[in-house]
Amino acid sequence: MATISKTASTAVPKTSESSKRRRREALWFYLFVSPWMIGFLVFLFGPMIASVYYSMTDWDSFTAPTWVGLQNYVTLITDDPRFWKTLWHTFYYAAVSVPLGLVLGLWLANLLNKQVRARKLLRTLIYLPTLVPLVATAMIFRQVLAPNGPLNDALGLFGVSGPAWLLDGDWAIPALVVMSAWSAGAATVLLLAAMKGIPKELYEAAEVDGAGAVRQFWSITLPHLTPIIFFNLIMGMIGAFQVFAQVYILVPKGKLRAAYDGAETMVPYLFDEAFGNYHMGYASAISWLLFLVVLVFTLIAFRTARRWVFYETEVK
Amino acid sequence: MAGLLTTPAPQRTQESGSPRKTRGGRGPGTVRAFRATPFTYATLIVVAAILSMPLVFVGSIALSSDATVNTNSFTLFPTEFHWENFSRVFGSELPMGRFLINSVIISLCSVAGQMLSSGLVGYAFARLRAPGKNTLFLIVIATMMIPTQITMIPQFILFRDLGWVNTYLPLIVPNFFSNAFNVFLVRQFVSRLPSTLDEAAMVDGLGFFGIYRRIMLPMLWPVLIAIGIFTLTHTWGDFMGPLIYLNDESKMPLSLGIQYITSTSAAGQSPAWNLVMVGSVLLALPMIIVYYLGQKYLYEMDISGGSAGVK
Repeated sequence: MATISKTASTAVPKTSESSKRRRREALWFYLFVSPWMIGFLVFLFGPMIASVYYSMTDWDSFTAPTWVGLQNYVTLITDDPRFWKTLWHTFYYAAVSVPLGLVLGLWLANLLNKQVRARKLLRTLIYLPTLVPLVATAMIFRQVLAPNGPLNDALGLFGVSGPAWLLDGDWAIPALVVMSAWSAGAATVLLLAAMKGIPKELYEAAEVDGAGAVRQFWSITLPHLTPIIFFNLIMGMIGAFQVFAQVYILVPKGKLRAAYDGAETMVPYLFDEAFGNYHMGYASAISWLLFLVVLVFTLIAFRTARRWVFYETEVK
Repeated sequence: MAGLLTTPAPQRTQESGSPRKTRGGRGPGTVRAFRATPFTYATLIVVAAILSMPLVFVGSIALSSDATVNTNSFTLFPTEFHWENFSRVFGSELPMGRFLINSVIISLCSVAGQMLSSGLVGYAFARLRAPGKNTLFLIVIATMMIPTQITMIPQFILFRDLGWVNTYLPLIVPNFFSNAFNVFLVRQFVSRLPSTLDEAAMVDGLGFFGIYRRIMLPMLWPVLIAIGIFTLTHTWGDFMGPLIYLNDESKMPLSLGIQYITSTSAAGQSPAWNLVMVGSVLLALPMIIVYYLGQKYLYEMDISGGSAGVK
């Protein structure tokens, strides 16, 4: 603090004056970023270290933890069918919902990018579902997907007798996918914005060369959108692997579960182990395996991205 | 929730780096790719109708009588109009008024926390020079990749040991320490503002806090409001946080409360779906209103941020 008041004095030589000012600036920098630094240490870095430790213990969070080394991980991988089931469900959900969301988003954005009247209204209607909080969405779809609900009524019009969706283990994941497709509008808005950024001259030139609308989409629109598609793919994947509220609310619990284990994903299992059974160590190990899975898939996506994601600078 | 949270991000990351400008984005298109055929209209109308149906259905259930709930004989379009359902949830039947107040308290405090802290931290990362700054910023970016599940259990232990379980504090306090995404947003915004502004202010004798308070803060409003909107969407709809920390019904926010009502109804009895759907409407409506009022800030933030933006 003394240094700060001294900088006001004019008698100090110029060089030391500027070094003092620099020190004062650094001091203010650390003062300004201290909220983030404290938050990082207390809510992120500290807990991460703790989580590594917990994952190597057997701990109910009330008595002292017992060190078990890698035992939790070994058990999860070699001797926990429920873990593998949740892992499979998570893959299944991500593998269907993420590409479907992207294709739907792209399709809708392409439609809205045309010279349509009432575009604002249509855009709003398509975006509206993404504004509904997940809990409300889950409540709504619990009714929409009911065996005698409107979705099955609609299918009935086409002579299809719909499944019991959430109550049927085989159809629970597809039901969650239907729910996720309802919110595909989030991707649409982003893709639409990116589409607007594509120079019109390219389309005009293509038109002169005799390219039709479909050809223009594949050769101009799509390549220009690959960075956004890639971003959506990564974010969608991370989101899908962490799916929780929908599954927790919609998948039957308690006595219904005995006859059914259709759609439990990784995070609800983790949650159940931690806050239902108080297996804090085991649950921590699940969280690290989840992290590993997400990391591996993100890395794979980044690896393959080089082949299909085009950035403007490379094109030119 | 996730939708709003991710909306502007690619805008900044993907567009801002590219030197490309939007050219003639809105001119009347004669190019085939932009022509709307009757088929385009038909498809769009069908899609918009399908996407609106669940919302119509919610309205229909929310307006149903208790008798309809008991027989589960809901119709897609409303056939009965029990508007009193909307006042019933605030009566003695369900503590939904309490849930709503809890949601408002938790959300507004979280919003205030993020707006207060993110501005300061983001400004410092954009403008002030200090040894170790680049390393710190690299850490900020890296933390965006850590899934919340990793820290969920240790944080729970921490808050439990502090005696904060069954209070609002675990849901509010972390917001006063900003988060990586918001810091990044403010930093990007500030670094595009002309630095002559703060230089002039410094010549006039303002200190760093003075510069932040008098020069930066007034210009930061669009991005701070956007951060407020993201934080609000996140906390308003958050389910896992309240589920971990709150077990007392009188402390629950609406998101947890309506789930709680459906899961605790007596055995063999169906939950009061009409009232649950009124709750769902109450949960969704503020988000729709906030988005409607706030979208100009979201877009303004993007435009003044120098990217192509959503137009």
